[in-house]
Amino acid sequence: MYDWLKGPGKAFRKPLGGSSNYLSAYDKFGNLHRSRVRRRDQRTDIDEGKGNDVEEDEESAAQRDMEDQSLTDDDRAIRAEQREMAREARKAENEETEERGGVPRERMSDMRPYPLNQQFRSQPVLSEALREQLYIQVSVEERDLLSVAASFGVDIRRVAAVVRLKTIEKQWEEEGKTLAKSYSDAVLSMLPTTPFKPDTKKAITPHEPINDLPVHPHTRQQIFYPASESRQFTREDAAKVFSAKLLPADQRIPLPMLVDLEKWKLGGLDRQQRQARQVQKDREAREEAAAKEAKRIEWEARTQRVVKGRRWDFQFQDISAEKVGRDGRGGEAVGYRYGMPHVDRKRGIVKIPTSVA
Amino acid sequence: MVLKLRLARIKTPGGAKRHHPRYNIVLAHARTARDSKPLEVLGTYNPIPSTPAGVSEEDVKEGRARKVKEIKVDVSRAKYWLGVGAQPSDTVWRVLSMIGLLEPKYLPTGPQTEKALKAVRFPTHLPAASAGAGATSTGDSAVTRTTKDNARMKANTGAGTTSLQNAKEA
Repeated sequence: MYDWLKGPGKAFRKPLGGSSNYLSAYDKFGNLHRSRVRRRDQRTDIDEGKGNDVEEDEESAAQRDMEDQSLTDDDRAIRAEQREMAREARKAENEETEERGGVPRERMSDMRPYPLNQQFRSQPVLSEALREQLYIQVSVEERDLLSVAASFGVDIRRVAAVVRLKTIEKQWEEEGKTLAKSYSDAVLSMLPTTPFKPDTKKAITPHEPINDLPVHPHTRQQIFYPASESRQFTREDAAKVFSAKLLPADQRIPLPMLVDLEKWKLGGLDRQQRQARQVQKDREAREEAAAKEAKRIEWEARTQRVVKGRRWDFQFQDISAEKVGRDGRGGEAVGYRYGMPHVDRKRGIVKIPTSVA
Repeated sequence: MVLKLRLARIKTPGGAKRHHPRYNIVLAHARTARDSKPLEVLGTYNPIPSTPAGVSEEDVKEGRARKVKEIKVDVSRAKYWLGVGAQPSDTVWRVLSMIGLLEPKYLPTGPQTEKALKAVRFPTHLPAASAGAGATSTGDSAVTRTTKDNARMKANTGAGTTSLQNAKEA
């Protein structure tokens, strides 16, 4: 053991800052895999001279494209753009490496905490800065969860959870409770994190796939459904085949507006037009919500009365006794039932409340 | 046979249990059993004061919010049955008088008869002529007039109090 501690284990006595330091990131002599790879890259670059497209300067690459007769002007423009992007990416990577003191960022193969389990890759968690930003976006700037989730590349449920926990955290800080800050710092320093760098060109790193289609139980069955060749069989039709009430996949995904955005892009709308459409859609949604709220207020004014009592209030609601229907067993009727069986244990009838008033 | 507006303690699932009373406000023949099937269910009455959604017990204790008793009633049907001579029980009388469908049985305190009752009237039971003009009174009845003078000192007492506050008032 002492041999190991003096030899390859030396790297773990003073772990690298800002890195996950998993055992599988080091070779058996205690050298970082990824720093060796980087050295080799540099050496090959020097050996081959300016063979790399990214490394050579823009002028000579453009000159080479011009000489190539098989390319059209559009192709040349696209190639120039690609070169520009690759150069940007390389530059950002180098900058990041410099920031980390010459040690490059972890690769996927460095993210294996269990050397014997090759398949397990450690997934990044939200960094403190990103969590704070999500909280600010939702609670302070009052943007809706969906657009925050879409713009930060974080699942809606995760955004909601972050906001809830952050609210509790702030409340605790206000109450003067001590937070286990050092513990969370220690854990976060050992895990890969999704950063948020507000002052850089690429402030947001997408955290996870956000628009995965949830698997509805109705869609788990295999159905052989014959449809004639002349018929257009769309996702809407497929949903109806699975179940009469099932929404089509395009509406069941968490962020359907991203699909619209992509459709507009493919339809040839430029950035400004897309923005204008989005603004209009947002306005329509807001108006709809306002109309709904106004309707609720009107309903309350019409049907609700509160009579003050000495110790408690009497809350009256005007209802319609005619909802019992002809047979006296209407589902929406007010009043306790007379000898009618409940149907709430039937399959598919949700007994627990699905919304909070 | 006499028709009565009364409460029925209904024991179906979701209804009343031991220490958990729940009532239907029903229209029934006077001589039928209390919980038998009525001619019509006009609403429900929950006699246990409960905290509304979003209000905690602490809010209630510190006076920021109040508990409520939930009453659902079809006002227009109740008004119709009263109009054709259905007899409300004491409790139903008390409840319906709170929203001004009936004169309170016991002589109430001032603000109740003067303001509160009219303020809480539903559009469904306003007279057709005044329905558009809002909740305006069509003139005080004899009972109301007698109670107007001696009840001003209890201006803070709410309309829910229909029990006797002061023996002299009666």
